[in-house]
Amino acid sequence: MDFLKSGLKTVLGAPEPGQQPTGAETVERLVERVNSSTLLDDRRDACRALKALSRKYRIEVGAQGMSALIQVLQMDRADCEIISYALDTLCQIVTPEQFDEEADNPTVSVNVGEQFTEMFLKNSENVTLVLGYLEEYDFRVRWSAIKLLTTLLANKTKDIQEIVLVSPMAVSKLMDLLIDSREVIRNDALLLLIQLTKGNANIQKIVAFENAFDRLFDVVRDEGCSDGGIIVEDCLILMLNLLKNNSSNQQFFKEGSYIQRLAPMFTIAPETEENGWTPQKVSNMHCMLQVVRALVSPSNQLQIISSCQKTMRTCGLLEALCNMLMGSGVPADILTETINTVGEVIRGDLSNQEYLSTVMAPSNPPRPAIVVLLMSMVNEKQPLSLRCAVLYCFQCFQYRNEVGQASLVQTLLPSSSEVSSLTAGQLLCGGLFSTDSLANWLSAVALMHALIENPAQKEQLLRVLLATSVGSPPVSLLQQCTTLLQQSNYKLQSKVGILMLLSTWLSHCQVCVKAFLSTPSSVAYLIAQVSANEHDENEYLIQGLCSFLMGICIQFNDNSLQNNKREDLCQLIVKRIGLEMFTAKLGDVSKHEAYSRAAKQPQIRAKSASELLLDYEFCKLFKALESVITKTVNGYDVNGPNLTELTLSSEASDLVSQYKDIIREQDNKMNDMKQKIAALEVQNETIQRQLTDALTANSQLTDQNILLKAQLTAAAGAGAAAASASAEPEPANPTTSEPHVALNTQISFYQSENARLLEEIEALKISLHDKSRNSSSVVEEFEHLKKDQEDLLELLTDQEKKILKYKQILQNLGENVDTEDELDDEDFMERRETTSTSLTSTDDHPRSES
Amino acid sequence: MSYAYLFKYIIIGDTGVGKSCLLLQFTDKRFQPVHDLTIGVEFGARMITIDGKQIKLQIWDTAGQEAFRSITRSYYRGAAGALLVYDITRRETFNHLTTWLEDARQHSNSNMVIMLIGNKSDLDSRREVKKEEGEAFAREHGLVFMETSARTAANVEEAFINTAKEIYEKIQEGVFDINNEANGIKIGQQHSPTNPSLPGAGNQGGSTSSGCC
Ligand SMILES: Nc1nc2c(ncn2[C@@H]2O[C@H](COP(=O)(O)OP(=O)(O)O)[C@@H](O)[C@H]2O)c(=O)[nH]1
Ligand SMILES: [Mg+2]
Repeated sequence: MDFLKSGLKTVLGAPEPGQQPTGAETVERLVERVNSSTLLDDRRDACRALKALSRKYRIEVGAQGMSALIQVLQMDRADCEIISYALDTLCQIVTPEQFDEEADNPTVSVNVGEQFTEMFLKNSENVTLVLGYLEEYDFRVRWSAIKLLTTLLANKTKDIQEIVLVSPMAVSKLMDLLIDSREVIRNDALLLLIQLTKGNANIQKIVAFENAFDRLFDVVRDEGCSDGGIIVEDCLILMLNLLKNNSSNQQFFKEGSYIQRLAPMFTIAPETEENGWTPQKVSNMHCMLQVVRALVSPSNQLQIISSCQKTMRTCGLLEALCNMLMGSGVPADILTETINTVGEVIRGDLSNQEYLSTVMAPSNPPRPAIVVLLMSMVNEKQPLSLRCAVLYCFQCFQYRNEVGQASLVQTLLPSSSEVSSLTAGQLLCGGLFSTDSLANWLSAVALMHALIENPAQKEQLLRVLLATSVGSPPVSLLQQCTTLLQQSNYKLQSKVGILMLLSTWLSHCQVCVKAFLSTPSSVAYLIAQVSANEHDENEYLIQGLCSFLMGICIQFNDNSLQNNKREDLCQLIVKRIGLEMFTAKLGDVSKHEAYSRAAKQPQIRAKSASELLLDYEFCKLFKALESVITKTVNGYDVNGPNLTELTLSSEASDLVSQYKDIIREQDNKMNDMKQKIAALEVQNETIQRQLTDALTANSQLTDQNILLKAQLTAAAGAGAAAASASAEPEPANPTTSEPHVALNTQISFYQSENARLLEEIEALKISLHDKSRNSSSVVEEFEHLKKDQEDLLELLTDQEKKILKYKQILQNLGENVDTEDELDDEDFMERRETTSTSLTSTDDHPRSES
Repeated sequence: MSYAYLFKYIIIGDTGVGKSCLLLQFTDKRFQPVHDLTIGVEFGARMITIDGKQIKLQIWDTAGQEAFRSITRSYYRGAAGALLVYDITRRETFNHLTTWLEDARQHSNSNMVIMLIGNKSDLDSRREVKKEEGEAFAREHGLVFMETSARTAANVEEAFINTAKEIYEKIQEGVFDINNEANGIKIGQQHSPTNPSLPGAGNQGGSTSSGCC
């Protein structure tokens, strides 16, 4: 403080005795000095003083001094000291935090820093000015500029990002800071870049273009990789910013062989296993895992995911991750994140999935890593996040992996029941019957993923038999699931799991539907649930899922079970529940908050176990089938099955409706054409009439003309006689020459009139010709369309025949399809009628749907 | 994949002239008639062989719209080569070349190799800019010139590879400071002549068969 006072004294001169200037006055005088003093030393001292006062008198310094400080930045470029004072003072003014010095000052509002930031940004040149000082090598200036920019960015990220984008070299300058040998500069530049790249893909790309990954990997390596300090973490956070949701940079990262530089960093040194992990190492490793996940996240472009996955396998990164998985001493949260990461590295990539299936845990006896992971999943004592991670990893393992799916189901089939070692299938079945409802849910979902898009395994799973208790005969897994649903002590979460498993199992599999419907009390249970009247959000979910399962039983019903055919089940819904109620209950599933939560991303995220209800893949199935089921069920009516295309297979009805559309379209076209033809005919007639009129008029005129010519000849003869009688014919014979002249004019008038009319006739002839040509082309087009339609009808007949044939085949195979055959025939005849009537009437759909 | 050198390229020119298609044709050997407008910049890479040396090309595709101009400018300084593209069926894209060139010259390092490309040579019937005009412009401004078709792939390989050759020659002549990464050139870890046992990913580009060496 003494220094400050003496400093002030030198700048302001000694205060008048007995009169202490207020802070505001002091600031005013200092600003005045910065503005007007011609001596650099004076201005520098004033700036230094302003910097010192800017904490306590922030508002005064900011309000009065900002433009003076900016002026210093413009004018005093050559003096590093004054520039650094000006930058520092500006930095204090715009800082978002409150200073201790101003804690008791009521005029300082919370967002004063932000307001001054806005003021400073009014002119974007000011930011460009600061960016320019990044090039100044002087430590004070460079460092102050970095700090000011970081603070401005924190306040107004978007604005600064925009300004940086339009300053061509700005990012280059910033990147150069990363190779500054002075660590403080480098470290603070890193923080600045982290702020700058947040959420702005264009800046992220430019930073990557400016060799960011090389620089960052160099720093990480120099600082000791995952064993390094917080600077390593900062580098990794910046890397993460550059890669997240940025396909261009992901591609660049992959192409630049940076995955290869990442891989060795995951190797855990033996010392670490013994001495444990420092908190910083945990943070570093966490960031490294995030970087890997940013490259293979399921939301990325498919082609990028698969090329990165391949590289991760070939460069040993996957292996290193799996070693961590099976290693000892890895902290729980790192282990959890590693499991998630392994999941995404193998998801949908057969070779990587196969690799995981061969990884063995160093346990005694040695067990496959997958089995060890599943053991943790069904273990009640493990943390929730770890159990969720295992399920996610297991789902990723099953994703598009027919081999993996088959081998899981295989472990459950009778032939392999002799094997003494613990298998994945056994663990999951155990999980289904556990008393821990989360284990029930996790196991049901895991099992469900073995069936996705795999009809063969759906049928295989029907063969699974369980020994429930000693002495009683084994029951099928399917039956056991139905039984579990009806047990009152089986919790809601568990039931949701089983219902999702059953829905996936039965969907697109008629054999499975038949097996389910044959299971005693299965239908009764579903109907009872759907018609239940419990008012609770989660009960609604159960009711909705039961509706869905019921719908699947209808949709994929092969009509071979007496009393459980499509119609029977639909009748049941109509009578016991009502169509509207059924549809509403079905809709409750997607309205449940668990639905939107699960549908967001494949990864399973839950803060508490009770949040886990629906699964990502199940939501996809639901979305695909909900409307189909609604349509099917609504195709039935109280008065019995309706004769609609819904009784056809979905492909056949699609085809039929396609043809209908085409026919309807052609009908419309034909009607248009007909109208055009009619109009043209009318036009044609008028023209014909005009032509006849014109011809008549013309012949009249010709007659008249002839007459006149005769008169003229006569008159000329008379005239010649008169002329020979007189030497001066004209004046001598004015009486005869008068009418002669008049006649001549008349003749020439008629001649020209005649010529005009002839022209008109010609024109009319041409137009008539055009018109008739036009109409013939329309007729041609009409014929063409007609033929098209006939072709289509023929196609349709073929199609129908094929359908009939298939029906026949089905019938021969013992399927009961009689009624539908008849319906088909009727339907077909009706359609023929429809099309033929529509040729002559504009009413294109005379058939009434009753 | 090891390489002797790495060159950074950018592709510039008006929107719709076929920049993204050229990149796709060069890196993936396919043509996509309906292509998204490039927002900002996209990235592609490929390995080629020049003088028996493996050279990795990293190519940034830019957006041509005025709104993205300032973003494009950020890429000039760090690029060793630029493909300046116009569309032979749209004269205005040719007329804008001067602006593009000024922009590039102002913001790039002086050694950047610029290749002028008249694209869509397959649409000869709709041609609005004569080949001679392109040649004259290139001669006047000291650029290399080529007409290409991203659709038929005609001259696409050559355009990228000839640019690389030009850069390579400048390196041999010592014009480029190859130790300054800001020039868009990086020396690979393995600087010896090509290792014949290198896996094919880089060679499969077929640059060796393009017959331009
Ligand atoms: N016929 C033809 N069309 C092309 C060629 N190159 C690009 N196009 C078409 O031109 C349009 C613009 O191409 P695009 O690559 O997106 O242009 P960009 O804006 O410069 O990236 C697209 O419709 C392309 O299909 C070419 O060589 N021949
Ligand atoms: Mg483009």
